[in-house]
Amino acid sequence: MTALRSIDVSKVFEDGFTALADINLSVDPGEFVTLLGPSGCGKTTLLKIFAGFYAPTTGRVEQNGADVTSAPPEKRDTAMCFQSYALFPHLTVAENIEFGPKQNRVDRDERLDRLNELLRQVDLERHREKLPNKLSGGQQQRVALARALAMRPSVVLFDEPLSNLDAKLREQVRREIRGLQRKFGFTAIYVTHDQSEALAMSDRVVVMSGGKVEQIGAPEEVYQRPETAFVADFIGSANLLPFDRVDDHVVETPLGRLTVSNRPDPNARFICWRPEDAEFGVSEGGNIVTSDISERAYQGAYTDLHISVAGAPDQRLHWPGGASCVGQSATFRLPPERIRFVRGEIA
Amino acid sequence: MVSLADSGATVAPKKPTRRAGALNRFLMIVLMTIVAIWLIVPFSMAVLWSLVDPETGWNYPDLLPPSLTHLRWVEVWTTTALPQAIANSYMLAPTVAVVTLILASPTAYCFARYDFAGKGLAQLATLLPLVVPGFVLAIFFSSLIFSLGIYSRFLSILMAHCVLFLPYAIRIMTVSFGQVRQDLIDAARDLGASPLAVFRAAYMPALLPGILASLIIVFIQSIEEFAIAFIVGAPNFTTIPSILYSYLGYNFIRPNAAVVSLILVVPNVLLMLGLERLLKSANPAQTGVKG
Repeated sequence: MTALRSIDVSKVFEDGFTALADINLSVDPGEFVTLLGPSGCGKTTLLKIFAGFYAPTTGRVEQNGADVTSAPPEKRDTAMCFQSYALFPHLTVAENIEFGPKQNRVDRDERLDRLNELLRQVDLERHREKLPNKLSGGQQQRVALARALAMRPSVVLFDEPLSNLDAKLREQVRREIRGLQRKFGFTAIYVTHDQSEALAMSDRVVVMSGGKVEQIGAPEEVYQRPETAFVADFIGSANLLPFDRVDDHVVETPLGRLTVSNRPDPNARFICWRPEDAEFGVSEGGNIVTSDISERAYQGAYTDLHISVAGAPDQRLHWPGGASCVGQSATFRLPPERIRFVRGEIA
Repeated sequence: MVSLADSGATVAPKKPTRRAGALNRFLMIVLMTIVAIWLIVPFSMAVLWSLVDPETGWNYPDLLPPSLTHLRWVEVWTTTALPQAIANSYMLAPTVAVVTLILASPTAYCFARYDFAGKGLAQLATLLPLVVPGFVLAIFFSSLIFSLGIYSRFLSILMAHCVLFLPYAIRIMTVSFGQVRQDLIDAARDLGASPLAVFRAAYMPALLPGILASLIIVFIQSIEEFAIAFIVGAPNFTTIPSILYSYLGYNFIRPNAAVVSLILVVPNVLLMLGLERLLKSANPAQTGVKG
């Protein structure tokens, strides 16, 4: 049985804007699924349809097999963590966390048990009587999380919960969310535009663009085997090249004739390789490319090199050493198994 | 040139700050003194005039009245309809304040939370009662009231005051409804709140200051309003301003007018101060997500 499911869900707003088109997504119980995409891709709209704030224009939403398409948010077994935290400013930390259980008439002892346990979990016991505006952003985020979990929801919906935190804190809260999810076993749907967040946290990533699902897969899958140019480009960085098929194992590209181990997909428009796929120090055999370096940027662990060849401007590769030991040109090998075929357009 | 200006901006402020601080303080004291005089002098004049002894009077060049008495207070209280007028006024004004608030809220809600064609025009239209002079409104309103067959003076003045003071309430409540955060409404609903609980958790804290402000302003406007209360209400229904105005004009009696104005003003001032307190304590944490 699926925890949450959307069937042919689409959403057209009153002004005629199509935010979502035919979204089919099944989320298993206890799964951590990320909706990843640039702003305006429809990920938050989909989340709000799952929460019940929007009704889909067409299609259905099922929770645990039951149709909840027209159920309002207050009647759904979902809890939301808002981007703005949405803590009630006039209520203390404890009152905020107890708000949900109180609305649902959970009895007092049970309520206090949940409150105390959650305060301990999110390490806010000392702040229970404080008002939200006396807390730091990270603490407010944890209160919001505790408030959602106090409902004992089977699904928690996260709407870019970390986007107002600084980088270091973000990583910490990210780990805490994952820890709480493992502990309480809730199903999580997590909206973000940050690909590293999506890769680090999720069981599955749903990459979205323009109201459509581009690809659904495990983090490794969407990173290593992107199906479309958009996915390849949005997650990590990718070099995309047009190609002509010579035979099943050879393609003609602006970088020269390359051997590939994947069969060219008949719908594929581009080949794709990642900057870290380039192998240096090999000058014999096939798939060797030599090119002038147009730009270099030292990144610490590696140096980002930019090469330009006719028909393929601005290809990037990671040179594993410092910037000073790179010459005027780079010679590298592209391993045949690392070259992927992708569909779609270059944005 | 640029670098000179820059260094001037970064180095220079240090000394002038202290001097500027002293100057600020000095100007502040001067300003506060002027304001205090501005408020206190007329007020003490009213107090003194209300206590002037009718036997001796208060004439030039006396700086203060030669003798004081409370006779005027007794006279005004016993010979006019003042007690009844006070009762009328203090019954009318709170009712007007509450009814106006109730009438204004739905309009304000729409102005603040919906976009619709002609919204700007509608907002302008709600300000119209402010533009029409009170007497003009009063004269035609009274004839309208009678032709509608409404003979209750209280009800008539109530209706007229509500129309007259709606612009204030609508304006204030529009701002308040605009401050209600959508994410709090969503959060409350998401946590299973009933419509009433959503109102209490998400709306009320943002609305409370506006509700209090609207009540105070409409209350004070209503209690001090003369034109409608006089034209529609007289002679059966007297309010405090009607009595006050009866001591002006041809039968000008300054000490008696002073008595009535004090009776009119003092409770208002106390009310203002009290509600100001309430306003401040109403919402300690209205704004703010701290980073």
